[in-house]
Amino acid sequence: MKHENHEQPIEDEEIKSWKKKLLFSWLFTIPIALIMLSERIFGFSVIEMPYSTITILALAFPVLFIFGWSTIRSGMRGLFTFYFNMDSLIALGTIVAYLTGFLGFTGIVDDYSGVSAMIMAFFTTGKYVEAVARGRASQEIKKLLELGAKKARILKGKSPGDDSGEPEEIEVDISEVKINDILIVKPGEKIPTDGIIIKGESSVDESMVTGESIPRDKIKGDNVIGATINQDGILYFKATKIGKDTFLAHIIKLVEETQSEKIPIQKLADKITGIFVPIILVLALLTFLAWLIFSNDLSRSISVGIAVLVIACPCALGLATPTALMVGSGMGAKKGILIKKGEAIQTMKEIKIIVLDKTGTITKGKPEVVEVYPKEKKKNLFEIAASLEKNSEHPIAKAIVSYAESIGLKKYKEVKNFKILRGRGIEGKIRGKSIVIGNRTLMNERKISLKNFEETIKNFENSGYTTMIISENKIVLGAIAVADALKEDSIEAIKKLKEAKLRPIMITGDNEATAKAIGEKVGIYEILANVLPEEKANKVKELQEQEKKMVAFVGDGINDAPALKQSNVGIALGTGTDIAIESGDIVLAKGSLMGAVQAINLSKATFRKIKQNLFWAFAYNVIAIPLAIAGVLHPVVAEIAMALSSVTVVTNANLLRRTKI
Amino acid sequence: MKKYKITISGMHCASCASNIEKSLKKVPGVKNANVSLMLKKGTAECEDSVSEDEIKKAVKRTGYEVSNIEKE
Repeated sequence: MKHENHEQPIEDEEIKSWKKKLLFSWLFTIPIALIMLSERIFGFSVIEMPYSTITILALAFPVLFIFGWSTIRSGMRGLFTFYFNMDSLIALGTIVAYLTGFLGFTGIVDDYSGVSAMIMAFFTTGKYVEAVARGRASQEIKKLLELGAKKARILKGKSPGDDSGEPEEIEVDISEVKINDILIVKPGEKIPTDGIIIKGESSVDESMVTGESIPRDKIKGDNVIGATINQDGILYFKATKIGKDTFLAHIIKLVEETQSEKIPIQKLADKITGIFVPIILVLALLTFLAWLIFSNDLSRSISVGIAVLVIACPCALGLATPTALMVGSGMGAKKGILIKKGEAIQTMKEIKIIVLDKTGTITKGKPEVVEVYPKEKKKNLFEIAASLEKNSEHPIAKAIVSYAESIGLKKYKEVKNFKILRGRGIEGKIRGKSIVIGNRTLMNERKISLKNFEETIKNFENSGYTTMIISENKIVLGAIAVADALKEDSIEAIKKLKEAKLRPIMITGDNEATAKAIGEKVGIYEILANVLPEEKANKVKELQEQEKKMVAFVGDGINDAPALKQSNVGIALGTGTDIAIESGDIVLAKGSLMGAVQAINLSKATFRKIKQNLFWAFAYNVIAIPLAIAGVLHPVVAEIAMALSSVTVVTNANLLRRTKI
Repeated sequence: MKKYKITISGMHCASCASNIEKSLKKVPGVKNANVSLMLKKGTAECEDSVSEDEIKKAVKRTGYEVSNIEKE
């Protein structure tokens, strides 16, 4: 983590250095321009010949060889080592132009030495603007880098439960925090690193790392993420991860890796940039020779040759993809969408089918009481049900107990003769009355008549709910429907997926009826039911082969890792630190299906931007270079066009931010 | 197989990045190289025999400096 901290200054320094070069270049170039203009336009010389040429040569010298020295040096080195770069073009163009100043005395050629300074001045200007725009393109990522806390407060010497005397708090640098240190965070403070709460409760704003806008309530035993903001309570927590193992560090690493990854569409552009400069060098030479032969005008030939050198710009091509990718992945990171494989951006637009795992993706992944049908009072029903269920560890029992607590039940009745009837329910005695809780099979077994409840229970079952019937001395007291509830935004998300012309398919280990019921609710009518976890990847493969279409898979990333891998684009959902970063091409820090919709929109928008950029970059070179060869562009105009082309590409990438995702 | 992560200073255009990539790939034992102009960073996947110095030299040959190198 440490070495990444000086990342930003490098970029800032680059901007600063170009700014300095730009200011000084113009300081010397403006007088040159005035001298040249007065001669050309007004027909008189401010300074008599040959003194004007000497003045221009003197003024242009520092522009090229002091302020432009880094460019000239790098360009020349490129020419000599055959690692040609774009500086080679500028260096050659400006030096040739500058030298004509000396030849100018002989009268063989026109003097272009002033032009050399102007080219360099415009070049530095273009580079400066480009550096600023590039800096803007990475602003979200820079914010991520700066997000981490700098200081932490450690509780030393005492255990947090110990209230005798003042606990000793020491403020330390974040790098000094060790695993298992107890840290204290006051309201409004940044949580310094990842950990688990051991005392206190509060709500925590995690929007900066998960994109989840609503603060999450945290109590003892909950995980906290470093760099998130503690809202209103004091939290004591034990550091579980530090330095480059933290969630934030993982996110940063992930985003950076995406940045340096090449996506397929870029390959052609890269191939071209690799051979671009030598080709232009040859083209410029040929242009010069052709003009010399056909026009017999040495000055003109030199001018056209220079224009060809300086108009060609591999930068626009080279920047087209990475800048758009940078803006796109930055936008995603801000919303908790981590694009792990840059390639996914390109593949996404080909996706036709989206397979959604049910448990944990469409639904919350743990059962909840969804409906209650009591004979008398709901509270009475739960008093009996929860007292019994409290003795069981089954997820359904837990759901019933937690519901009972949520409606204000605190005291439970004493249960005797408690027994678990595997796969059917439980039974026990409360104040001598025999209580049986379970499914229809159990009720039939015990010959308990369902009478008035028959219709309700049928409805529950048809909705795909697990139905628990509560009876006391063989009389039914009510029914509780338990189900894995839908996530709040699943219905909307699936609607959006359909609007995006994607075919949603739900995959689940549930039986056909339950699966259908859930599918019906969220609007998915294609269902793969009874699929064992290890068969999910095969199902994805079958779809890919049978339908001959690209398939995306959305799952929780833990059980679904093979299916995520098999799919063309795997989207892994997670909540907070629980996300499995390794699986999935796109990882969502917030566990909602809406995040998947956003990820799809973002990928498509980013890819559109990349295509746009590449188109303009290619078009620019395809149009500009022939124009320069044809001799219709003055070298200074050519240089301005070149500078504009790369600035345009970077600016266009920044415009991606306007897209709503 | 190992992977070097390098931070490069002095890069300022797309052909710079592609030059460095080419130079890195020429080092015997380097299987793959990737340089990002935007991040001023690069990676080189190579056989265990390739030393830090060789990587640095390859970058330097093209006219740029390695300001940081780590092994992953």
